[in-house]
Amino acid sequence: MITVGIDIGSLSTKSAILNDKKEILAYDVVFTGGNNRQSAEITFNNVLKKAGLNKSEIDLVVTTGYGRENVPFSDKHVSEITCHAKGIHLLKPHIRTILDIGGQDSKAILIDKDGNVINFMMNDKCAAGCGRFLEIISKALNVKLEDLGDISMQATSAARISSMCTVFAETEVVSLVAVGTPIPNIVKGVHESIVSRATSLLKTVGITEPVAMSGGVAKNKGIIKSLEDMLNMTVEVTDYPQVMGAIGAAFIGQLIGK
Amino acid sequence: MIVMAKSNIKNDIRLEQYKNMLNVINRHNHIQEEVSNTLKATRMRSIINSYRLVEAYKADSKVAYVGEQFPTEIVYAFNMQAWNIESMAILFAQSVNIEDFFQLSEENFLSRDICSFLRAPFATMHANCYPRPNIVLSNDQPCDCLAKLGYIASQLYNSPYFSLNTPNEINGESINYLVAQINKMILKIEKELSCSFDENNFKKIVEYSNEAKEYYCKTTEILKKSYVPRVSRELLEIFGLNAFGLKETVSLCKVLYEEALEISQKQNTKKKRVLWMGQAPEGFHEIIKYLERELDIIFSAILWDGTLMSLDIENPIHSIAKRAILFHWHSDRMKENTAMVCDEFGIEAIIIANVWGCRNMLGIRSVIKEVAEEKNLKYLTINLDVMDRNNYAFNQVKNRLDAFLEII
Repeated sequence: MITVGIDIGSLSTKSAILNDKKEILAYDVVFTGGNNRQSAEITFNNVLKKAGLNKSEIDLVVTTGYGRENVPFSDKHVSEITCHAKGIHLLKPHIRTILDIGGQDSKAILIDKDGNVINFMMNDKCAAGCGRFLEIISKALNVKLEDLGDISMQATSAARISSMCTVFAETEVVSLVAVGTPIPNIVKGVHESIVSRATSLLKTVGITEPVAMSGGVAKNKGIIKSLEDMLNMTVEVTDYPQVMGAIGAAFIGQLIGK
Repeated sequence: MIVMAKSNIKNDIRLEQYKNMLNVINRHNHIQEEVSNTLKATRMRSIINSYRLVEAYKADSKVAYVGEQFPTEIVYAFNMQAWNIESMAILFAQSVNIEDFFQLSEENFLSRDICSFLRAPFATMHANCYPRPNIVLSNDQPCDCLAKLGYIASQLYNSPYFSLNTPNEINGESINYLVAQINKMILKIEKELSCSFDENNFKKIVEYSNEAKEYYCKTTEILKKSYVPRVSRELLEIFGLNAFGLKETVSLCKVLYEEALEISQKQNTKKKRVLWMGQAPEGFHEIIKYLERELDIIFSAILWDGTLMSLDIENPIHSIAKRAILFHWHSDRMKENTAMVCDEFGIEAIIIANVWGCRNMLGIRSVIKEVAEEKNLKYLTINLDVMDRNNYAFNQVKNRLDAFLEII
C-alpha cells in the first residue's frame, strides 16, 4: 500500500510518500502562495515524480495543515497536531513531547507510547514566535532565512527582544541595528525570544522527556541550541523536520489502510 | 453607597432610546436562527424577553440596572424592571453587528484589550440605546468589574447607585455581612425611589423563584441520564435571563422540563459528552454548531450550586445572600462542583473557554485543568471572543477543535 501525505501550511506546502514498510519514498516542499489548492496539486505531482510513481499507484491521500479541507483529491483530512505526533512517532518512537513551530503557529504536543496525542497547546493571536516572525526579521536584517542559525552561532551575547508582537519586534530589531548592535547578537536575541515563548507552551502541557522539535523552524540550528540551553536538555530533530506533518499524514493513511 | 453624579447623557428620554435601539436592530434585520430547529421553550423565552424589553422602555416604568447573578427577586419586589446591562449587550451583540459600538467604546477610552463583556454594555450606554435607569444596582461576583461598570452607568445617567460587596468565603459571618447590605440596599431603594418594599409581594416572588427552580433542577436531572439536544443550552439562557422571581419564568421552566422529558423518551442517539467551562457563545454560533455535530455539550453554569439552590421561604434574604456567595468563582468550591458534575453527568472531556481579557477565567482555568487531570479527562483551552469579532477567527479555533475531536 502506498500513501501520500500533504501538509498545506501557511508558508509552504509539503508532501511525502510512504510504502507499506513505512519507508519514506520521497518528499517535496513548495511555497503555498495565494492558491493552496494549486500548491497541493504541484507538490503532489512533484513527489510522485521524485518517487517514480503514477497517481493510479497511490492508494490513499491524507491532507493536513490549514488548507487540508481544500484539496479535492484528498481521501481524509486530519489536523496537523495529530499528524506531527504520528510523524515523529514513526521516526522516533521514544519521543514523548514535541515542539512544532510552523509558519504561523507553534504547538507543544504531549504524546503517549503509541504516538497518540495526550494534550496540546497552541500559540495565541500573534505569529510572534513562529516561522513568519523569522522571515520578517531576516528581511529586516537583510540576511537569508536559512543563514540565521549560522549567524546566531557567532553571537557574543543575546540582544533583548522584549516585544510580544511581530510587527513591534521588527521595529525593535531595526532600532537595535540603528544603535550598532552586532547582527549575530540580534539574531540570537530573536531566537531566544521565540524559544522563550515556546518554552512556556511546553511547560503548559508538561514536558516529558525525550523532547523533539518539528516544523520548518526546526531547521534553524540556532533555535535548537537556544531551546536546549533554556530547557537544559537534549532536543532531537529528525532529518525531515519541515515535512513531519506530511509524513505523519501519510503514516495515518497507512494505519487507515490496515 | 449611593452616588449621585453629573449626567453625560444629554438625551435621556426613553422613547428616544427605544428608537435608537430599533434603528440598530433594523440595520441588521436578517434572521439568524432556524426557527423550526428551536425548542418551544426557546421561542417562549424570546417572547418573554421582547415583552420585558418593551416594558423597560415605557416612560413610567421603573428600571433597575443590574449585573450578572444579581438577586433580582429584590428588584421584582419593588415592581421594577431588572435590566441586566451585560446580558442585554450579549443579546444585542449576538443578534446584530455592533462593531461601531466597540469603536465607540474605544473612542471613550476603553481599550480593546479589556473584556468585551464590559466594553459592549459600556458602548451601548454611550450609544444611548438602553432605557435610562431609575437606579443602578450592582454586585461584584463573579467579576468585580461589574460593580465598576454599574458605577459608570450611574454617572452617565445621573442615577442613584448601590453596590453589594460579596465575600468569597461562605460562613455565618459572611452571610450575615451580606444580609445587612441587602437590607440596607432595600432601605436605600425605598428612600431614593419613594416606594415601599412589599413583603407580601416579595414572598410571592420567592415562591415563583423556587417553583421555577424546581422545574429547572428537574430538567438538569433529565440531562444526567439522557442526551437531550439543545436543552443544556436553553438552561444556560434561562440562567443568563436571571428572572427566577417572575411568574412567566415558572411557565418557561415548566415548558422546558416537559419538552426535555418528551425528547428524552424519544431520543436514541448518544454522543460524547463534554463540559463547557467559561463564557459560551450563542447557541447558533459556528463553534457550537461545529462541535454539536459530534458532541453533547453540557454548560457548566447550569449546574453550579448557586444556580440550583432554592430560597428559604421563612428567611429569603439569608438564602439570597448565601446564593450570592455561592456564585463567586471560589477555586475550592469550583473544583468540587466541577468534579461532582463530571461524575454525575458522565463528562468525557472538558472545554475551557477563555474570553479575551477575562481575568476570572484565567484565574480559574488551572483549577479546571487539575480536575481534568485527576479524572483523566482530555481538556481543551480555547481563547475566543463571543462578542467582538475583531478578537476572533473561526479558522484559528477550528484547528484546535479538530485536534481535540481527534484526541477524544
